[in-house]
Amino acid sequence: MPLTTEELSEIKMILGREPTRAELSMFEAQWSEHCSYKSSRYYLRLLPTTNSNVLIGPGRDAPAVKAFDRFALVFKIESHNHPSAVDPYNGAATGIGGIVRDIMTLGAKPIALLDLLFLGEPSNHYANWLIRGVVKGISDYGNRIGVPVVAGMIWFDKSYNTYPLVNVACVGIVEVSKLVNSVPEAGDLIVVAGNSTGRDGIFGSSFASKSLGSDELSNISAVQVGNPLMEKLLIDAITEATELGLIKYMKDLGGGGLATALSELAADHNLGAVVILDSLHLREGNMSPEEILVSESQERMMLIVASDRLNDLGAVLKRYDLEYSVIGYLSSDGLIKVYYRGELVANVPAKELAKPRIRLWDIEIPEEYRSLGRELRIPEVNDLSHALRKVLSSPNVVSKEWVYSQYDYEVGIRTVIKPGAGDAAVLRLMEVSEYAGIAVKGDGNPRYVYLNPFMGAANAVGECYRNLISVGSKPVAIVDELNAGNPEKPTHYWYFTQMVKGVAWMAQELKLPVVGGKVSFYNEDLSNGSQVRPVTTIVGVGLIDDVRKSVTYSLKNDGDYVIVVGVTCPELGGSEYIYRCFGLEAGEIPLPRPSSEILNGTYVSKLIDLGYALAVHDVDVGGIAAAISEMCVKGMKGVMIDLSKVPARGCSRFDEIMFSESQARYLVEVRRDCLGKALELARDLNVEVGVLGEVHGDELAIRYGDLDLVRVGINELREIYDNTLERLIEG
Amino acid sequence: MYVIEVIITNKENVRDPEGETIHRSLVIRRGFNDVAGIRAGKYLEFRVNKPSCREALEYVKELCYKLRIYNPVVHDIKVRASGSDSCD
Repeated sequence: MPLTTEELSEIKMILGREPTRAELSMFEAQWSEHCSYKSSRYYLRLLPTTNSNVLIGPGRDAPAVKAFDRFALVFKIESHNHPSAVDPYNGAATGIGGIVRDIMTLGAKPIALLDLLFLGEPSNHYANWLIRGVVKGISDYGNRIGVPVVAGMIWFDKSYNTYPLVNVACVGIVEVSKLVNSVPEAGDLIVVAGNSTGRDGIFGSSFASKSLGSDELSNISAVQVGNPLMEKLLIDAITEATELGLIKYMKDLGGGGLATALSELAADHNLGAVVILDSLHLREGNMSPEEILVSESQERMMLIVASDRLNDLGAVLKRYDLEYSVIGYLSSDGLIKVYYRGELVANVPAKELAKPRIRLWDIEIPEEYRSLGRELRIPEVNDLSHALRKVLSSPNVVSKEWVYSQYDYEVGIRTVIKPGAGDAAVLRLMEVSEYAGIAVKGDGNPRYVYLNPFMGAANAVGECYRNLISVGSKPVAIVDELNAGNPEKPTHYWYFTQMVKGVAWMAQELKLPVVGGKVSFYNEDLSNGSQVRPVTTIVGVGLIDDVRKSVTYSLKNDGDYVIVVGVTCPELGGSEYIYRCFGLEAGEIPLPRPSSEILNGTYVSKLIDLGYALAVHDVDVGGIAAAISEMCVKGMKGVMIDLSKVPARGCSRFDEIMFSESQARYLVEVRRDCLGKALELARDLNVEVGVLGEVHGDELAIRYGDLDLVRVGINELREIYDNTLERLIEG
Repeated sequence: MYVIEVIITNKENVRDPEGETIHRSLVIRRGFNDVAGIRAGKYLEFRVNKPSCREALEYVKELCYKLRIYNPVVHDIKVRASGSDSCD
């Protein structure tokens, strides 16, 4: 049992007596790390969470930000790491189900999904099975509920061979006036709608709040199977009930089940609840009250409804063939009273149940981290064409088409920029106006975090910001997911604290509120208990006034110019280049450069808005060389670029200019007739740019002045870029 | 040549939405109320070149595990010679 002796005595103090079995289960579920954030709450306070656009910040099942006056975007990220390690297909699928329901709790209609996957080596047999299962689980569930998976990212690393990280995010939209955000009152009814409650998934949250031992593999009561058809019915029914204003408040019945939903709901509003468990529709007849209270059966929602609207709500649910039960009502005494078969089985103060005491663990910088090589000694490289092929064929760089072709990314006819076409996905918001839209994207780099968790996390924020800028959107807010190891181990906990601080600092600097997020601890290798590489993933949304102006990164027209925006520094530490070419994961990672991000981002936004820019690609993993290759492949156009024109500071080698992963940089295709104006604008804003060359022909040529460095045909680049991942996975 | 049948279902205490849906939305709805439950699963038929039935059986068992045709954490697997539970 994860409850500690101190926690047990605290519970006795709270109750003034021995807890019943049902009460113990409720405390165990709610006081799990997963539900209570007891080890992370203290540090999460560092995150900037508000600005004038934020309608609902952290604390609810999902946050909401203002979009175009009348509308709200509801978006949130979630991890399903533990379940996916045990059962990749169902684990990933139910992750999608859960995040969609979180979005629905505010009455929003889910319009897009993102997946951020950290997977093992495709050549590893077990990892390969996990990869296929995770991708299939996401695509089956997402496709069946009719919500497109529009964006995401995938990173491959051997530390994820037995234990993948599966982060999923969902974006929804709702009119501000229809946000389900009323204040629940005593006397309101508690309705549970959707799936019947069974023994499946009992103590999933407690299970996710400790390390998975190999014996845990037989602990199958934590395995949950998703039912996307039921989820689809829930989406439709709740959208209709929201439209009719029938629901006052909603909670997803996710981690911790009824116990968590009841205690959070009551505690947040100084209320209590009276619950008659016998009224709940169950899947199995012989369940004990403690099993019912903590079951995490999927596809269930808790709806709070005023008693005079119950009939109307019931009619809507019935029309969608959804089972529902009225399990009790809210009370004003602050106590959660649960009855079963005529007996009072639990009587707990909601506030004390909802929020256990904050836990702070010891912190220690790991020896492994101290001994990382900070000074890089990189051998001389003569064949830069070969180096480019190596970098471009990295699974972390190549096209992820093998994955996203399994997703239905166009369902709902919103998708303007599809996966693999731009730095972020762009979706139309027809509800708002004909051409209004949003951009969404998610990012994270475990290698950066491994080498420097503070800066690595900060760079994820920067990368997300650039991706949103690249397609022509104005970034408005982000959510974060912190995937870490075991908080009880000081060396693991250190990574977590550094990551939060990195996100907090960078978000503050970029003026991006972190409106919500999730922490996932205990991500450890199944075989040896070592921490899988921790990583911070950031998902951001941006607003676009006119989606016709949004840009992809494919090169468009012969004769246009390619310019680089931002300064290149000799920052090869942690780069894909030194990993692919020399097997090195060392050095200082690129510095986060928030003020350059804002300045350069502003410039690129103007280029797009004025119509000067026809293609934009942010420079990240693989540097300028990888970025220009991708632009060529996507447009099937060649270009000759001259590295001597790159604004570079301190670079003494060609490979530094080609492959440095310095932050705050973009490559932009500028219309031939607009180059003068684009450069003038750069001078006005004091942005450093370089004109690298012209789009033409069918090969990528990279030179330094008169010196030829690389010549590769576009067809060859395309073959490498498009087909490598499928070859690696399908074998 | 031996015909080896493999039947994969979710374990007893793991939920089976497909079976539940067939049960609720088809069978019960059409009034076949004596059906208490339905489990759905996957059926595979292997035609195996092995000198004996027993070897064919073991061979299929091994490949199902190694190739992760099923997930031992979630699924029950039944491997049998065609039409009977054993090779005898």
